[in-house]
Amino acid sequence: MPNIVEIAVSNDAFKTLVTAVTVAGLGDALQQPGPFTVFAPNDDAFAKLLPGTVDTLVQNIPQLQRILKYHVVAGRYTTAELKEMDTVTSLEGSPIPIRCGDVFEVKNATVLAPDIEATNGIIHVIDTVILMG
Amino acid sequence: MTTTLENPTAKIPPSTHKYADIIHRLEAGGSMLPDTEENLMQIIGIYKAYAVPMDFYWRDLLYIAERVFLDPLPFFKYFLPQEYLDLPNHYAGATADFRVWQKGEASAHPELLEFMDRGELKKKLPKLFHHLWHDRINMEFAEACMQAMLWHQGMGGQFYDYLESEEYLANCDRAIKAYFKGNPLMLGLYKLFPEMFYEKVRELSYYANLGLFWEVMAPVFFEMSDLYDEGKFKSVPDAMDFLVNGIFIAAGRPIYHHVYIGDECYEIIPKSKGFMWLYEAALPYVEAVFYRTAPFRGTKSYNAQAHQVPDEQKDFHYGILYADVFPVGTAGIPPTLLMQDMLHFLPPYLLEYYQNYCRGEDDMLIQLGITFQRSMYNVTSAVIQALRTALLYPLDDPNPEHLLKNRQFFEAQMDRFLRPEARLTDIQSQDYR
Repeated sequence: MPNIVEIAVSNDAFKTLVTAVTVAGLGDALQQPGPFTVFAPNDDAFAKLLPGTVDTLVQNIPQLQRILKYHVVAGRYTTAELKEMDTVTSLEGSPIPIRCGDVFEVKNATVLAPDIEATNGIIHVIDTVILMG
Repeated sequence: MTTTLENPTAKIPPSTHKYADIIHRLEAGGSMLPDTEENLMQIIGIYKAYAVPMDFYWRDLLYIAERVFLDPLPFFKYFLPQEYLDLPNHYAGATADFRVWQKGEASAHPELLEFMDRGELKKKLPKLFHHLWHDRINMEFAEACMQAMLWHQGMGGQFYDYLESEEYLANCDRAIKAYFKGNPLMLGLYKLFPEMFYEKVRELSYYANLGLFWEVMAPVFFEMSDLYDEGKFKSVPDAMDFLVNGIFIAAGRPIYHHVYIGDECYEIIPKSKGFMWLYEAALPYVEAVFYRTAPFRGTKSYNAQAHQVPDEQKDFHYGILYADVFPVGTAGIPPTLLMQDMLHFLPPYLLEYYQNYCRGEDDMLIQLGITFQRSMYNVTSAVIQALRTALLYPLDDPNPEHLLKNRQFFEAQMDRFLRPEARLTDIQSQDYR
């Protein structure tokens, strides 16, 4: 079974995410045993960000890392487990609200593809880049 | 981005909030400020008049944070050296990280330089004379805003927590010892009262924070003025949308505090902490300065038994969004200082406009203060729309549940204007001057 990074790299829908993780130097960290739960925004999610937002983040690596870490949680949380939780705490430190019932929403993002298993964790694909606050 | 929508919330029932009309306007992509040509003209004119002194404020805030630092007798902290007048703005000029102000240069604005040179007196005199005559930019206003941020603290973001951390104190320690190297008196005082020195450095970190915040806002306002002059802004929501875009462009810019002692740079707050313009500067600034601040001396009793000042800091409501500009503007206090600064740089169309109302030139400071209040309701609208964009849902989201979440957010924001001091109702009318 591939790890989180290998799954993202092999999927054409995550080109921006893979670039961002590479630029931020977080690729190695996400290949560690973890396990991690990753809420992975697809390319369409990044495209929804207002112009200039990504440009500034790419120029400022610690700030980019912070946004990306907000999409990662320590531990492997499947949909079934997230159903029992209202929030999870991101690696960035801020809480991520979860609504997992009839719909599966992570903050203001909707989960498009849940429970993609990896050797070092699990991926839930989301349609919006989530931000702290 | 917020675009004006026809009837985006037909899927949910109308709001029953006191400010339902304004909430529906926000839900349609509008601003708290009504969309009239007169409002657009006023707010753009005042943004331009604000941007010129702001170009001084941000440069001097950084100069004080980075160079004046702990000077125990900082008599010349308002005397900006050429190096800081030339300091390239990161959002203007050819060297910009992201060029927001298209036509502008990265160095200090020409109108600012002319005013610093000749002042209100329009005479070229020694700088010290202009200073002592108070014929200068009122930097005290910028310091009052910084103090509001320092005093309220804890308004989101991670900045405040870091200022209490061991790592921060260790960084302070290195810089303090380097700054006072060879000064046994100050080093002795530091040994006796270290907390006093740390607290002073915390204040200086807020100088840096606010300087980096305003470094973005000045070119944003200059560009808005240029776009209006070129006829590219047609409505108040156009102006608000530009601000929303500006907020997102700068959201990820680092907030840091570097100090230069001799040839060495001491990183009190390194960029690597990941502090961001949006979370650690912009949002705390809006909360501390637009909403809270503190009652100005002479306007409220600080006597606890008089109950004129709230018990809780979160209940403070002395910002521009609540200000009664007339008494505030006559008390010789920070907002008056800003109004006087803006008076020097009003565009001709706004000067002419004020001549036609109230007492013309005689009460221009009050008139422009109320224009400023209108313009800050528009900036606050941009912040509200930016937060909705970042944390909630598009205005045309097809899911009624999402629209209800947006509604709850807008209503919660409007709840802050339910208290009688709020000026939200006043600014709905053009007669409020």
